[in-house]
Amino acid sequence: MEFLLEPFTYSYMVKAIWVSALVGATCAFLSSYLMLKGWSLMGDALAHAIIPGVALAYLLGLPYAAGAFFAGILAALSMNIVKRKTRLREDTVIGLVFTTFFAIGLLLVSINPTSVNIQGIILGNILAISNEDALQVVIISFICLLVLVLKWRDLMAVFFDENHARALGLSVQPLQILFFTLLSAATVAALQTVGACLVIAMVVTPGATAYILTDRFNRLIVIAVLLGSITSAVGAYTSFFLNANPGGLIVTLQTLLFIAAFFFAPRHGLWAKHRATKMILKGNSHG
Amino acid sequence: MSKNSIQLENISVTYPNGHHALTGVTASIEAGSICGLVGVNGAGKSTLFKAIMGFVKPSTGRVTISGMAVKQALKQNLVCYVPQTEEVDWNFPVLVEDVVMMGRYGHMGFLRHPSKADHEAVTAALERTNMTEFRKRQIGELSGGQKKRVFVARALAQGGQIILLDEPFTGIDIKTEDALIILFRSLAAEGRLILVSTHNLGSVPSFCDDVMLINRTLLAHGPVETVFTQENLVKAFGGMLRHHQLVGADLHDDEDKRSITVLSDDERPLVFYGETGGQKITKHGNKE
Ligand SMILES: Nc1ncnc2c1ncn2[C@@H]1O[C@H](COP(=O)(O)OP(=O)(O)O)[C@@H](O)[C@H]1O
Ligand SMILES: [Mg+2]
Repeated sequence: MEFLLEPFTYSYMVKAIWVSALVGATCAFLSSYLMLKGWSLMGDALAHAIIPGVALAYLLGLPYAAGAFFAGILAALSMNIVKRKTRLREDTVIGLVFTTFFAIGLLLVSINPTSVNIQGIILGNILAISNEDALQVVIISFICLLVLVLKWRDLMAVFFDENHARALGLSVQPLQILFFTLLSAATVAALQTVGACLVIAMVVTPGATAYILTDRFNRLIVIAVLLGSITSAVGAYTSFFLNANPGGLIVTLQTLLFIAAFFFAPRHGLWAKHRATKMILKGNSHG
Repeated sequence: MSKNSIQLENISVTYPNGHHALTGVTASIEAGSICGLVGVNGAGKSTLFKAIMGFVKPSTGRVTISGMAVKQALKQNLVCYVPQTEEVDWNFPVLVEDVVMMGRYGHMGFLRHPSKADHEAVTAALERTNMTEFRKRQIGELSGGQKKRVFVARALAQGGQIILLDEPFTGIDIKTEDALIILFRSLAAEGRLILVSTHNLGSVPSFCDDVMLINRTLLAHGPVETVFTQENLVKAFGGMLRHHQLVGADLHDDEDKRSITVLSDDERPLVFYGETGGQKITKHGNKE
């Protein structure tokens, strides 16, 4: 028992656990929306597109979250413009924009090698997060969660039927911009915990798992947020014993839950479908 | 209060790819009636709806709804739009009642928290469209006719006085179609303005008061009796229609000059019977 409680005796572990949980919840909330539009890769794109912003911010001595955030917004806007002005498909546009930004980022870092610990950004490590960075992450997550809790219905209406949302008098474009702003902000926060490579999992997997488990959007959000925060907290906690990278653990846990849902979900799982088919066959043979 | 109306002044729509979908449409539609918007696929029916709703910006012209600019009319929840089924994401994790509730958002406050009145409006709309038993279904798990009715229910819950329906009869059975027509009639009788697009000719005379024939521009507009003629329809549909004509010996044993002409594209056929009607269509039109 004492052994299991040991992580809580270290303040850096306590901090890592609850900051991870908060970031996990924020990303999971956003994942509920992203997956519905085929925009899942957008999270990945933003995470990579952020690098030049971070490099520039270090160069200019600004808080690096600010640089990351602006690079993220810029990338989201570029994607939006290219998408509207050409007939290229979503995946092509995302690929195009994010590699461009990533390349610029690498270029900046290579010209000015000492300025950024790029390894830290790509892999992330919540266990080593400084107090200031942790504060940034916490503030970002709180603001995102607050806005989402207040506006989740408006965003749902926009994602479900843009035209109808417009007909209702909702401000569709500002809401879309709001969403991508939140996504950029959450991506910045997630970079710290799981790193650029694994952000994509944080903004996809919880939503995907919840989608298999329910047919209602409000429940989907609740389930996704629970999954996101619990896996993040547990992942950070277990990394203490396994001496492993917390990001890797968090995402592995999320994937395990997805697999469990895939097989055992009450209505849409493989097992339930198999049973339903068998029932129908049985019914037919009787009748 | 003045009567609800839609005024279209010289509306033209050109899509970004340079396609002129509509040119110079001028019309005035009044409340209390059902107006059918009839044209072939690609004639610009959906485009006209989108122009009325402000979803696409006309390159020329102006839309006025009950004397107001479109934006203002939308803010007042005056106009409802029932989209074509293909334009909906049926995999979205929402139940029937959630979709209908979205129709109420314009009536709710900042948090969109539904009030008792909102719940009552949803229940009433579901009842009126006969969808009560499906209210807990995910929308993808419905039949074609039920899918249409969900969105009609959403429009009812929204409570607009002007309802635009884009092809509500495509892919549904006759029974559902008849039920919808009865519903539309009663809505029009309550003083609403109903604009229904269709390429289903047969049912137009049975439920529309007025009809607008379009093919990339407005070809004719007026009461069904005067506008919905064989001549106009051939103009609107060109070679797209199947003609079946029965005359003389095929139809009568005597010297009767009357003939039966059946016009159809793919659904309910339109039937003309009489002396003049038949003559306007040549036998060449008969593909069979
Ligand atoms: N977003 C778009 N971009 C370019 N062309 C379009 C777009 N939407 C429709 N069109 C074209 O405009 C014409 C009218 O389309 P539409 O209004 O959907 O016809 P209908 O609803 O009568 O079948 C068609 O030729 C169609 O190909
Ligand atoms: Mg159409």
